Amino acid sequence: MTCREAGPLLHARLDNELDMAGAASIDMHLSECRACAAHYAALEDLHQEIASADLAYAPGALLERKLASQFLEEKKSPSRLWRGSWLYPSALAAAAIAVVLLISTPFLRMGGDTDAIGAEILDNHLRSLQPMHQVDVPSSDQHTVKPWFQGKIDFSPPVPDLTQEDFILIGGRLEVIRRQPAAAIVYRRRQHVVSLYVSPSIGADSATELHEMGGYHLLHWMQGNMSYWAVSDVDATDLRTFAELIRRR
Amino acid sequence: MDTKVRYFELTMWPHMRAAYNLARWLVRNDQDAEDIVQESFLKAYKAQESFRGSEAKTWMLTIVRNTAMDFLRRYKAGMAVPLGDQGHEPQDHSADPERGLLEESRREQVRRAISHLEAEFREVIVLREIEGLSYKEIASVLHIPMGTVMSRLSRARNQLLVELGGAKEVQHDVP
Repeated sequence: MTCREAGPLLHARLDNELDMAGAASIDMHLSECRACAAHYAALEDLHQEIASADLAYAPGALLERKLASQFLEEKKSPSRLWRGSWLYPSALAAAAIAVVLLISTPFLRMGGDTDAIGAEILDNHLRSLQPMHQVDVPSSDQHTVKPWFQGKIDFSPPVPDLTQEDFILIGGRLEVIRRQPAAAIVYRRRQHVVSLYVSPSIGADSATELHEMGGYHLLHWMQGNMSYWAVSDVDATDLRTFAELIRRR
Repeated sequence: MDTKVRYFELTMWPHMRAAYNLARWLVRNDQDAEDIVQESFLKAYKAQESFRGSEAKTWMLTIVRNTAMDFLRRYKAGMAVPLGDQGHEPQDHSADPERGLLEESRREQVRRAISHLEAEFREVIVLREIEGLSYKEIASVLHIPMGTVMSRLSRARNQLLVELGGAKEVQHDVP
């Protein structure tokens, strides 16, 4: 490899954009050419310097509020009760309490442990619909989302590609449900969000069990010592279709 | 619940800060950047039905970038004034280099050096170094091939090295 050929590839090497063979041939060149090695070191320093300078411009609070009122505040109930509150950090706690009360009251009436878990799941799902909370790993690619969980949890959640069936993968995130780590996989059907929660739980396999709550549907089932919860405001038939697709994987 | 609003909130809103940052770097002043973000959000909101599952951030930044470029073209055509640093940007210290070097922090030097790049080099630096996009994502935002992303980054960084004084002319060994 000549220096001329290596030139732009030094940047791809720096940005981790080369495959192993490409990276190896650049490294080989760097070990042989002092000028390129020095240049590469300077590029690394520059990269580091820009990163540590924290050069991102932040939008002013006024713009954020203006945009929020333009695009986020047309929501109808039940979110009407707490809409906009997230804009003001001091009101966050109050908003959280409002959600918990709103959601858990009917569940308390229903009673039972499954319902309590369902309440927590729905609570979590609703919270995830707020800005910045939906996914830790935003990706429509199952091969990005699935490996992301490795090393974070000791089980491997199903992350099937259901694009054909019109459930579009949005991403995944880590949750704690009942003090247990759970994987949340987020899909979209048309403009509805479907969250799938998966966590290990000892128990016999079971059929899907439908819960209904304030316009939301929850489907719970056990499969292979894993507990599954699917939650969304899509209609019950769509959610059952979704659950069946997951169960068949 | 209005699913359109909620879906927008879920997919696009998280990228508001990235949108503002890109707009701010491209037009180089606060007020214009705010206008561009607002215009971009409106476009994204209206067009969200056409958004199908590809990366939301890339999609949002593409809209911001196109809106900013349209703005800059209009600005150039209408005002015939060369774009320069405005607003809170540090002024050019070239008239008094000693004072500049002494008083300006290294961070501001880096900021100013990037700000002085031509738009096509500035945007690849901002997308790569500040927003952390991959070459594939940058290629998608800028509608250019990945090879072009690499060569623009190469030229942009080499210019920054020169401006920031870390540059030594590379003396190439005979291969």
